[in-house]
Amino acid sequence: MSSLIVALLAIAVAGFAAGVYRRLALWRQGRAVDLPLSLLLQVPKRYLVDLHHIVARDRYIANTHVAAAGGVVGSFVLLVLVYVLGFKNAFTYGVLWGLLVLGLLGAFFVFKRRQSPPDRLSRGHWAMVPYSLFAFGLGFLGLTIAEANASQGTLALVATVLAIVGVREIAGGALLSRPLKHLLSGSVHLAFHPRQARFDQVGALSTDLRPMDPEAEQYGVGKVSDFEWNRLLSFDACVECGKCQEACPAYAAGQPLNPKKLIQDLVAGMEGRSDQAYAGAGHPGMPVGTHQPGSDGALFPSLLEEQTLYACTTCRACVQACPMMIEHVDAIVDMRRFVALEQGGVPSNAQAVLQTLRNTDTVGGYDLAERANWSVDLQLPIAQPGQHVEVLFWSGESAYELRNQKTLRLVAQLLKKAGVNAAVIGEQELDTGDVARRLGDELLFQNLAERNINYLNTLSFDRILTIDPHVLQALGQEYRAFGADFEVLHHTQLLDQLVHSGDLDLSRALQRGTVTYHDPCYLGRYNGETEAPRRLLDALNLQVAEMERSGMNSRCCGWGGGAAFSDVPGEHRVPDLRMQEIHAVQAKTVAVACPNCMTMLEGVVQDQTEVVDIVELVAEAAGV
Amino acid sequence: MKYEHLFKPLQLNQLTIRNRIMSTAHAEVYAENNLTTERYVRYYEEKAKGGLGLAICGGSSPVSRDQPQQWWSAVDITDDRCIEHFGNLAEAVHRHGAHIMIQATHMGRRNAYWGGDWPHLVSPSGIREPVHRGTAKIIEPHEIQRIIDDFGKAAIRVKQSGLDGMEISCAHQHLVDQFWSPRTNKRTDEWGGSLENRMRFGIEVFRSIREAVGRDFAVGMRMCGEEFHHDGLSHEDFKEIAQAMCETGLIDFISVVGSGADTHNTLANCMPPMALPPEPFIDLAAGIKSVSSVPVMHAQGIRDPMQAERALAEGMVDLVGMTRGMIADPHMVNKIREGKETQIRQCVGANYCIDRQYLGQDVLCVQNAATSRERFMPHQIQRTDGPLRKVVVVGAGPAGCEAARVSAERGHQVVLFERSDAVGGQINLAAQAPQRDQMAGIVRWFDMELKRLGVEVRLNTDADAQAIRAENPDIVVLATGGRPGIEEDPAWGGQSGLAVSSWDVLSGQVPVQDNVLVYDVMGQHAGTGTADYCSNKGARVEIVTPEPKVADDTGGTTFPIFYRRIYGQGILMTPNFWLQRAYQEDDKVIAVLMNEYTEELEEREVDQLIIENGIIPNDGLYWQLREESANGGITEMNELYDHQPQPILAGIPAGQFALFRVGDCISMHNIHGAIYDALRIAKDF
Repeated sequence: MSSLIVALLAIAVAGFAAGVYRRLALWRQGRAVDLPLSLLLQVPKRYLVDLHHIVARDRYIANTHVAAAGGVVGSFVLLVLVYVLGFKNAFTYGVLWGLLVLGLLGAFFVFKRRQSPPDRLSRGHWAMVPYSLFAFGLGFLGLTIAEANASQGTLALVATVLAIVGVREIAGGALLSRPLKHLLSGSVHLAFHPRQARFDQVGALSTDLRPMDPEAEQYGVGKVSDFEWNRLLSFDACVECGKCQEACPAYAAGQPLNPKKLIQDLVAGMEGRSDQAYAGAGHPGMPVGTHQPGSDGALFPSLLEEQTLYACTTCRACVQACPMMIEHVDAIVDMRRFVALEQGGVPSNAQAVLQTLRNTDTVGGYDLAERANWSVDLQLPIAQPGQHVEVLFWSGESAYELRNQKTLRLVAQLLKKAGVNAAVIGEQELDTGDVARRLGDELLFQNLAERNINYLNTLSFDRILTIDPHVLQALGQEYRAFGADFEVLHHTQLLDQLVHSGDLDLSRALQRGTVTYHDPCYLGRYNGETEAPRRLLDALNLQVAEMERSGMNSRCCGWGGGAAFSDVPGEHRVPDLRMQEIHAVQAKTVAVACPNCMTMLEGVVQDQTEVVDIVELVAEAAGV
Repeated sequence: MKYEHLFKPLQLNQLTIRNRIMSTAHAEVYAENNLTTERYVRYYEEKAKGGLGLAICGGSSPVSRDQPQQWWSAVDITDDRCIEHFGNLAEAVHRHGAHIMIQATHMGRRNAYWGGDWPHLVSPSGIREPVHRGTAKIIEPHEIQRIIDDFGKAAIRVKQSGLDGMEISCAHQHLVDQFWSPRTNKRTDEWGGSLENRMRFGIEVFRSIREAVGRDFAVGMRMCGEEFHHDGLSHEDFKEIAQAMCETGLIDFISVVGSGADTHNTLANCMPPMALPPEPFIDLAAGIKSVSSVPVMHAQGIRDPMQAERALAEGMVDLVGMTRGMIADPHMVNKIREGKETQIRQCVGANYCIDRQYLGQDVLCVQNAATSRERFMPHQIQRTDGPLRKVVVVGAGPAGCEAARVSAERGHQVVLFERSDAVGGQINLAAQAPQRDQMAGIVRWFDMELKRLGVEVRLNTDADAQAIRAENPDIVVLATGGRPGIEEDPAWGGQSGLAVSSWDVLSGQVPVQDNVLVYDVMGQHAGTGTADYCSNKGARVEIVTPEPKVADDTGGTTFPIFYRRIYGQGILMTPNFWLQRAYQEDDKVIAVLMNEYTEELEEREVDQLIIENGIIPNDGLYWQLREESANGGITEMNELYDHQPQPILAGIPAGQFALFRVGDCISMHNIHGAIYDALRIAKDF
């Protein structure tokens, strides 16, 4: 009996080893990355700390996972201890059986969850997992009890069959591309995560869009092997839990993007097969099973369609939600670079915007000479080289649009009231290129970034102020890769400082009823700032109701990533969905902190809720 | 960008004007002792706060003493005493990011000598001015030189004070264009004859000003684009003048106004009333712009932002004057900026403002009672910090609508009862008269605001005392208006049905007969409007009034419009007659008329006798409710006139209500009076 168990273990090890070999081969289709092997030592910490932070958001599945994974992995270790190394005593048997029972308990919870599984979960192989876990637990319980009691017969036979079923699922996952491959890919992914900074400083760098070499032979990712190997690995770590699907605004709006499916499409591409085996929700409006990679692993359009890529708002809700720490958005932008620059496949409306941006250095085709028109009556000087200012006020595209000019103007008036020495940039200010970068036109983005940085370097200022979180991200984070080192503040951050330093007095009472705050993606998820706006609302003594999706889990307004321009058709409009959530908390006012959120939410036809920028509330209370 | 042209700044010499919306020069009649004191300053400050780019104040401010200043409380620039007050004005306007210039002029013959220093008015050829009955002498060379010098001295005062610039009126036939126009300049010396000679005076004036203020100070001229007089200057003449003036390099801008103004009929064009089409004279401005090397401004009938944006986008003008627009709503520009166009209280061209001004009265807006009363009356109603109350308003005419609107802005819960099927009251009747349809704009704004503010409007509801009590109100405002006063004299036959009222006809309830006599006791818009209405329906119409002339109480820019219609349609005017009695003869009505001055009687045989005699107040509800109200229905007069809250508002006993009345249900007032009644009482609710 012992030898049967040892044989099963040997098969498991061999199968696992074969699995490792196969997966390594699959991952290594990708481009080489310079990362030390010693990163593997980081796995336990990253598993227990970083990953745990995310998984623990769903306590049920966290406990289930501890039980199932702990039980299964632990019992493998004990089986080796007992049967290979020969530590046979009451204690080791006791621990072994305890772990097997723990695994069964985990399996039971998995089973229960899958009784009426939510739409986000995949079926197919995944539906088999609880049964395989049962088989493993019961099989080895049976075998080890039989062995301990030296009994043979039907029980042992049944147990052997069950144990084989279990071993196949668990140890064979990697080889057979079944769900429990994530035991391997998930762990290795933690070591070689494409964005190592994620584990060092949470929120310090929220994206890993790398500058593209303008001289490169090919721009962006057009086939599987164009991804770096650890990105392929990250896709392979996906457990198809669908948390991303649940978080995705495009999916909710019925646009043809399901981030989970997108990752699984890439896995299919990596494995050189079609998406037929995929057993979860597809890209809305698109059939499942008809897509496969082209020759040489080409992604477009046979595996992925352009409208799927361009439905993404780059809101990173999927990234935030993913327990496996997969970063979908960076991959999407890499692929968009290929589609935009190699194939000219940007949706035509967005293509027109890029053309305009290329020609005029503004998204809307405006005259740079009119950039400072909005402030002409506010005694806000235009920054001059050699004259130091505390705050350089970035006007952005809002300079050309009346609704958001109101935000700019109120911020300027509050700065004046608080005695802050500020200046605008005027006609030397170009668009940051955010839209271009997100749409995949990295060349245009880099051109704008370099020219902006060159001019900003001629000016003398302490910090840059913006009302637009996309500018905050571009100037403050993404320009660093091009040599910039600017301190950039969002207006809610500066106003928060001014209120708490006593330079702004918000003593006028507001009568607003229930107010809710809509976190802009690029302020919250990209820059980690969810509290400054809330502190302002607190200082205003408003009755604030939080939406179910708020803070780091906020729902996108639908603007970002060029989505407002690409305008990929769906069943609903993203901002309409967000407005429903705003209405769900009976808010009479929704405060936003981004001119683009303003545009999108004000575009919703409704008269229940007034959309304001937070600064409007601050100004009202400050008597400006 | 929406309104990209409206919000594009404009460089005007040393000034960066923040947007293209301006208030052109008009006589405000707010100056005290001919100085721009607090009321005047607050009037312009409100517009600056409301977002306008440029204001030119002080229409027809005289630079010389030989101009009586009291007729329109003109702003005096003849003396250094103005400087301090101009400084206050400039500071208040600059504080909000706007700019302000002043118009300076010498009006020549366009005045009346019998006041002030009793001057002998001067004019190039001493020809009498018809509108002001201005008899004048022929100006002498030494007077010409004195006045040229006076312009320079005035310019120094303006520049010293901190105002942003100066506009010289060369329009409406002031002295400069009295020299230009062959209609008034018959001289044969160096100041008359050729265009070059006729332009000499104006050029000397600008040269004198430039010498005084230097190059870096905005100086411009307002000119006419076409006089519409057979012996006057044509559009082509003005283009020639404009081009020549630009070539002198002395001016920074031209403001163009259509139509001469020295007859009653041309004067009515200058501030186009609602009868005229939108922007009737913008082509004249565009014509001047075609030869001008400096920015061109133009007002006259540009009322909404789309119109303004289009005029700019098409390159017709560089600055859009929306002068009456901002009298009606000084916050218009900010509302455009904030996408709240539907909240703009838009000028309807009723010309109550200018018609008052021509009587020497302060300029007031027919629909906005806060204008020029900024010291006491809010344009932006603040929510109350006190208790939130239930306010019941009865009657949705202008007084009731305003009371409901202001109460709702204060944060109160408001129910507005209205007997008919629409809000608006008598304005709805006024809008029935031909070419008076835009009166309905006043109602439209109220209607939209009441909806926006969540006022519960109960139409088709004849509220009685019981219905009012059932609301458990804290405040009841009666705005029940009146009913036609045709029963005042039983001999008129109003009771017996021999005569019908103007309301009966305008409302369409009584069809117009073939041969109609309209008896207009009041001399206001209603009587003439009714006559016009009947004539428009094909009737033969005679309008009889005891007033000195038909439509005598309608105002200097309004009666000419009525007269164009009356003469055009052959309506017979019979002023100075009373209706003594009416009687039936077969199927005809015989109206017996008595001459005011001879007492001779005349008879008319007509199919229909229509009487306009104003209203009798509907005060029934008041008498039913006053006993039980907390204040006995009494509005404390001193507090009301001192703009203070009514004492009862400090504490209305629980279960009781305060009772107030506004508008015609007290005694007949006009629309402005009704709205002012409501605003001044409800602002403190």
